[in-house]
Amino acid sequence: MSTHDALPNGKPRIGVYVCHCGVNIAGKIDIGVIIKSVESLPYVVCAREYKFMCSDPGQALIRKEIQELGLNRVVVASCSPLMHEPTFRRVLSEAGVNAYFFQMANIREHVSWVTTDGDAATDKAKALVAAAVRRVVLHEPLERRRVPVNPGVLVVGGGISGIHAALTLANSGKHVYLVERDPTIGGHMAQFDKTFPTLDCSACILTPKMTAVRTHPNITLLTYSEVESLEGYVGNFTARIRRKSRFVDESKCTGCGLCAEECPVTVPSEFDEGLGQRKAIYRPFPQAVPNTFTISHKGTPPCQAACPLHQNVQGYAALIARGKYREALDVILRDNPLPSVCGRICTHPCTAGCTRHRLDDPLNVPGLKRFVADWVGDYELPKPELERPERVALVGAGPAGLMCAYTLRQQGYRPIIFEALPVPGGMLAVGIPEFRLPQAVLRADIERILKTGIEIRLNRPVGKENTLEDLRRDYAAVFVGIGANVERRLSVPGEHLPGVWGGLDFLRQVNLGYSHTQLSKRVLVIGGGNSALDAARTARRCGAEDVTLVYRRTRTEMPADHAEIAAAEEEGVKLIFLTAPRAILGSEEVMGLVCQQMRLGEPDASGRPRPIPIEGSDFTLPCDAIIVTIGQTPDLHGLLERSSPLIARSGVISVDPLTLETNLPGVFAGGDCVTGPDVVVNAMAAGRKAAISIYRFVNGMDLREGREFEGPYRSSIEPDTAGFLVKKPVPMPALPVSQRQGFDEVHTGYTEALAQAEAARCLACATCCDCRLCSKVCEPRAVDYAMPDTYQDVNVGAIVLATGYKTFDPERLPIYGYGRYANVYTGLEVERLINASGPTGGEVVLRDGRTPQKVAIIHCVGSRDLNTNAYCSRVCCMYSLKLAHLIREHTGAEIYNFYIDMRTPGKGYEEFYDRLLDEGTHFIRGRVAEVTDWAITPEEEGRLVIRAEDTLIGVHRRIPVDMVVLAVGLEPQADTEDVRRTFNISCSKEGWFLERHPKLAPVSTFTDGIFVAGACQGPKDIPDCVAQAGAAAAEAMALVDRGHVELEPNTAFIAEALCSGCKTCIPLCPYSAIAFIAEKQTSEINEALCKGCGACVAACPSGAAQQHLYTDDQIYEEIKGVMAYV
Amino acid sequence: MSNEHRSESPRPFRPDIVAFFCNWCTYTAADLAGTSRMAYAPNVRIIRLMCSGRIDPQFVLAAFRQGADGVLIGGCHPGDCHYQEGNYKALRRYKLLRRLLKSMGIEEERLRLEWISASEGEKVKRVINEMTEELRRLGPLRLAPKPQARRTRLVPVAGGVP
Repeated sequence: MSTHDALPNGKPRIGVYVCHCGVNIAGKIDIGVIIKSVESLPYVVCAREYKFMCSDPGQALIRKEIQELGLNRVVVASCSPLMHEPTFRRVLSEAGVNAYFFQMANIREHVSWVTTDGDAATDKAKALVAAAVRRVVLHEPLERRRVPVNPGVLVVGGGISGIHAALTLANSGKHVYLVERDPTIGGHMAQFDKTFPTLDCSACILTPKMTAVRTHPNITLLTYSEVESLEGYVGNFTARIRRKSRFVDESKCTGCGLCAEECPVTVPSEFDEGLGQRKAIYRPFPQAVPNTFTISHKGTPPCQAACPLHQNVQGYAALIARGKYREALDVILRDNPLPSVCGRICTHPCTAGCTRHRLDDPLNVPGLKRFVADWVGDYELPKPELERPERVALVGAGPAGLMCAYTLRQQGYRPIIFEALPVPGGMLAVGIPEFRLPQAVLRADIERILKTGIEIRLNRPVGKENTLEDLRRDYAAVFVGIGANVERRLSVPGEHLPGVWGGLDFLRQVNLGYSHTQLSKRVLVIGGGNSALDAARTARRCGAEDVTLVYRRTRTEMPADHAEIAAAEEEGVKLIFLTAPRAILGSEEVMGLVCQQMRLGEPDASGRPRPIPIEGSDFTLPCDAIIVTIGQTPDLHGLLERSSPLIARSGVISVDPLTLETNLPGVFAGGDCVTGPDVVVNAMAAGRKAAISIYRFVNGMDLREGREFEGPYRSSIEPDTAGFLVKKPVPMPALPVSQRQGFDEVHTGYTEALAQAEAARCLACATCCDCRLCSKVCEPRAVDYAMPDTYQDVNVGAIVLATGYKTFDPERLPIYGYGRYANVYTGLEVERLINASGPTGGEVVLRDGRTPQKVAIIHCVGSRDLNTNAYCSRVCCMYSLKLAHLIREHTGAEIYNFYIDMRTPGKGYEEFYDRLLDEGTHFIRGRVAEVTDWAITPEEEGRLVIRAEDTLIGVHRRIPVDMVVLAVGLEPQADTEDVRRTFNISCSKEGWFLERHPKLAPVSTFTDGIFVAGACQGPKDIPDCVAQAGAAAAEAMALVDRGHVELEPNTAFIAEALCSGCKTCIPLCPYSAIAFIAEKQTSEINEALCKGCGACVAACPSGAAQQHLYTDDQIYEEIKGVMAYV
Repeated sequence: MSNEHRSESPRPFRPDIVAFFCNWCTYTAADLAGTSRMAYAPNVRIIRLMCSGRIDPQFVLAAFRQGADGVLIGGCHPGDCHYQEGNYKALRRYKLLRRLLKSMGIEEERLRLEWISASEGEKVKRVINEMTEELRRLGPLRLAPKPQARRTRLVPVAGGVP
């Protein structure tokens, strides 16, 4: 033991002080036994007991004995060191001994309070005291580290607690950053009508404080912002704040509200608890601070993401629904210069993503587009804003070529189109029958495109006269969009016979007006695509009496649009399935078709079942003509003329799918000549894609960068369909079948009323529909659709968390019928109904407009119930009384309160309860069993019936009422867990932020420098929130005002002589506090950065890394000590 | 103070557990168990460390050598560590240590790691009760007598082995 005598402050002289803590410790532990066992331990000079060691006399006793007996080490056996360690360390300092020659044995929380058996408790206490005595021998003198404190304070949450804390701190001269995630501060209190028990108007007492926050020079208000991450430690925090884009410049917006008047999108208002509506560009309430509008934009809606052209469907649907057709057309024209065409024949891939699928059927998107194009009728496409000198050649005037030309023209180029046919439009002009797409409509759309300044040369195929090489030479770039015009052949005997038509050839001849297409009686159409149906329906119109479509699979596998199949059948086209042609009979002309029956086999590459012939099942279909519509391939002969080395595979041109560039630089290709026969919208998308590539090519830019989202993709929006009703699509008006002999357009288009009704079905998945009307009316030009989220780092010394609560969701208790019965409301909803600025202007009316005669208020919904929350939410009794009073005042209704216990502790609260009793409000003690609409008596008919037990008179009661108000409890915010992690604090098991001590440190947390205020710490009413916010502000101020903090000296250090330079410790440090010093070949710990976790100490193989206050030796002694009495 | 000494005792077997709890979560949870007056088995002796990442595997071995029948390590839940990741370091040391203990002939169950947050006083009670039962089932840990006259760095200032 002689080594201990040579410790820095001489031979250890230990005083041991055992606290009774009244009976808390002494009632369980035999203190005498402890004293006796301690006295025999080495170096113990004295062992004392006292009733309350932490009291003044207790402290004085220690001080006195340190001086009189020359003690240099002290052990106190009492409560948890988390409670009184600082107290006793101070006693040592006052007596002139270094505060760290002290150790505490926790014999209250860890022994007397948790042990039933007194002897066992005494044994355990003996061991803990012995461990402390053994440990304290090895203690060293330490000094607390002083670090400067940043004077700023961060307040998180802009409810009444956050507002009050921020103002208190700001008034003391500290700079405050107030972060609120909603667009305005005010929190729940702003939603209330009156406050209990004084019935002050909530807004009247809150809004002046909100304004004070806005105008206070010491407050930086960051609304619509969230704390993303937090670094640092007490006195020196750095918070990274994400300033969510509100798409409106806060510094420019004057809050005039013109934008909201213009906005076509209406969604339920969060501020009015869904009882009222707001626009996509909104301000939660007129007194909002800041008085700035915000656009809620969730991203790209699923329809827009799925459209190859990314047309803003939600935008024009919203505008149509509000009768703004011209504006709707402008939205369409942003992406699509062929609205009349696409409005008729687009295969609408957008609707595959439509959220309406979850409820009923998607919107008729093409129908809406057609409506606006037809309704506006005569319009012009925008002209380019600048002219560029480069010329671009396009081959083919189909949808790909037209789209490419239009896009290039909008960029200022002067494209020239070479078209082989006598008419522009490609397949649109010659492959789609008049009754689906009238030629006049097509021509008008194309004319408009050409009028923007695009030259077109008809009857100019690329080939012998005008080769691809010539074009490459003469133009800055070339786009090839020649489509797929060569018909596939059946390759069966007899295909050469007169009366056998190619489907496309047939349609082309009809469309170009040749007269010899009068068909004879019986016509067979082979194929199952849209072209086959077009051919069949055209054949009917060309005089064929009997048209039969022959398809080798079944109806399910037909690639044609299902509406088109139905239309063909209506018009008398017959369908034969599982039938494939084998040979065509006839010598001079067609007599019949030999067919073979098929069956379905395993799926092939296209995912559809492969048709397999059934041997010996041949049969003959008699006919006079056959139309073969089984697909087309591009005609590449002209392009390859004079050996341009353009590479094609499987009959189509090979391109880079990202850029559409061919193997020839500057030559791009897209549409059917690249993909094989495909739909118009894909060809247009390819045309636009090629135009983007050409722009980049001509300007020498990277062709490939940032093009991932040009094609269809999946929207990141997760739309919620809750609360939307099933509404079937408005059928598209069509000619009756009897009138469909000619080539008149079958579908006649929506009327204005029908279009509005259909457009109104849109669920507005993205909220803001990006129609950009608001920016047109905004005079200060505050709207900025490109505004990104920004990040801001703030440096502060302390943080006050006042993140508030959410109300209990009563749908979790189906017995109360919330969400099922229209007239069951939550307390917060009724607050909005009562409020003069609420959705009903302060009228308490039911959803059907009636004024309730009888109202039930059910207490403790989501509180004091083991199935939901065991705790009492503290405010519900009082707000129920307040609502009872206010509803009665507004409506004169009879009010029934169903309560378990009335809890009205507080100044003036019980008096308020008495007042309600006097007013004649009924109070029924008993938990409500259920709310039902199942009437038994005539009086109950059409009402909600409360079934409850009245425990005071001992009977079951049924009380019919018109309105039920659920006094929902308070719950922690849904993202409490994330916030807790960001700020590195703890939560109680219910999820409320955990205070350091429920009585002595109610606003501190276990993380120094972070304080809590308001309902995020537990349910509380406004007075308590404000009081606590003041307390948190005072604590924060006490911290930052001192200018420095003292940190525990429990840092790690490296004993240089022992360090072997293995660097094991370096990657272990989460704070990068350890550096390797090359000259010395040892590690070194930066004490300023070290937080004292000791991870490096535990890992050091040579024992060179050590931790002050927790050295290995001290811990080994403690281990030995706790096992001493085993 | 050795195992032999204890086995002579006429008392029924009373397992002894040394617990290393981190200051921020588990030690606080044990305090909460106390303030909530949750009675649990008296067999545990809690040693406070700042972080479970401070636990040197040798502490555990030392506790067994000193006669502990079980060792309990308590830290913050993953993701909750006051020092960001100390509990993960404790976890990987614990996993290796269990294997080491097994190879030394000490049942793995004698070493237990639990994530207990500051609000889980109830869990402190449950874990300690469970572990006491488990150790009662396993019986006392019997180690070979310690070799004499071997100086270790465990007690450099104590000048010898008690």
